[in-house]
Formats: sequence, C-alpha cells, structure tokens
Amino acid sequence: MGRPPPRAVGGVTCSATVNAVSVLETVLFFVAIPAAVVALVFGLVYMGGTRPGKRYRPGRPFEFTPVWFLSAPERLSGASGVDGHAALTGPRHAELPAGTVGENNSAGDTGVAAQGDLGGASDRW
Amino acid sequence: MRATPGSPHRGIWEAQVTAGDTTSRAEDLLADRAAVLYGPFTTPQLLRLDEALRLADQSTDLVFSVYVGELDDPVRGHAEKLHSQLADPDRSVLVCVSPNQRALEIVTGTEARKRVQDRDCKLAALSMAASFSGGDLAGGIVSGLAQLADHARRG
Repeated sequence: MGRPPPRAVGGVTCSATVNAVSVLETVLFFVAIPAAVVALVFGLVYMGGTRPGKRYRPGRPFEFTPVWFLSAPERLSGASGVDGHAALTGPRHAELPAGTVGENNSAGDTGVAAQGDLGGASDRW
Repeated sequence: MRATPGSPHRGIWEAQVTAGDTTSRAEDLLADRAAVLYGPFTTPQLLRLDEALRLADQSTDLVFSVYVGELDDPVRGHAEKLHSQLADPDRSVLVCVSPNQRALEIVTGTEARKRVQDRDCKLAALSMAASFSGGDLAGGIVSGLAQLADHARRG
C-alpha cells in the first residue's frame, strides 16, 4: 500500500485523504449547527402561541369564562318536536330567565342537605 | 364541538352565566360557544364531558348539568339559585364547580333527590374533589356524573 506522504498545508501537516478545516468551519460545525437545531426546537414549541396554561392547576387562579354545560336542550325545553336550531336559540329564554330566584335559595353554606326539598352535597378541595 | 343542528354533538350547550344575571341571547350563546373552546377544557375533554352528560341523561330520566365558574357567597345559595333557573328543577341535578373557591356543590331537585340520595351525592362529591385536588377538572366531572347516574339508575 503505497500511501502518499503527508502534505503540508499552511504549515500544518495533514493527510492526503482528509482536508484541513479552518477555525471558522469548525466553529460553524460545532456551534452554529447545534444552535440552529436548538432554535428550531424552540420555534416548534412556541409556534402555537404562548397562551397561558389551558388546564386548571390547584392553587393557581382560574380565569376562564363561566360555562354551563347542558345536555339535550330539546329535552330540556319540553318541546320534543323542535329542530336543533330552534332548541338552541328559541327556548333559551324560557329555560334561563334572567334574574329569577328560586324560593329554595336561602340555605347557608353548610354541608349536606339544604332546606326545603332540594338535596345534594357540598365539598371542598 | 360546536353545537350545530344535525351534528351528533349538538347536545352539549354552554351559556355564560354572570353573577346575578343570566345572559341568554342567541348571539351571546354563539359567542360563548366559541369561548368555551378557549376554556380550561381541551376538545377531547369536552367530548368526554358531552358523552358523560348524554349518557347520564339517557340512562336516567333526570336532567344533568354542570356549571364551572365563579360562585357568589354563600356558594350553596348561589348553586341553588342556578338550579332553580333550569327548565325542570325538580328532575334536575346540577353540579357546580368553582375552581377559584375550591368549592363543589351538587344540587338535586325534589324528584331527583328520591333517585339520587344525599349520601350518594356526598360520595360522588368526595370522588370529584379528589380529582379536582389533583388538577383534573374534566376527569372529576366525568367520573362524578357517571357515579350520580349510576345511583339514579339503581335508586
């Protein structure tokens, strides 16, 4: 195997099969490329926006709009024949009248049971 | 998750309820439905909630609903006031969750109370509160609804 003798490039001895790399190339390879990869990952993570935590965490303030989930509004309205759109828009006024206060709303913040006919339970966490 | 007519998930319905007043105009509801998507629940959680409510209503003859938001003091009184605003309060079961106050209220109407007794409610409330203290709002609500519906079926 007659390998050619090492050449001297710029005062640095190197082999015939491996080219000499400059300091700039080394920095680009070992710093710029990893930095680009890190920046890419950061970009992907924060691409969806930095909206504050969507989930509830105990002890953190809960700043979402109050929501009331009801199932089957057409059953609630008592008019079973109405279509979905009417059930969603029309009977709402009858079901959730503004400012109506039931007569059973004077129970204190006690545990199980309430006065009158209402039942249920309370708990805290 | 939009409650559009004819869609399989039109059942779930959300309304914004302010402290002393109830907004019920159609355009408000549409806006609120959009706002719910930016609420504390992800879309899969909303779907699970929808399914739980639908199953609970179908398997029992009661009407279940869930309120998640601020409650005025006394929380029990406010929960009962919300319950009285439902279409058929006697046959309704309302679960009120106030994450800020860390308060949970279950209100059952006259008829519903015969099916779901207070101790059953307390049991479900304990289980829900355990989930809530771990930060799992949707899971707690879904499992609580399942428990309440289970008791209503047997009761």
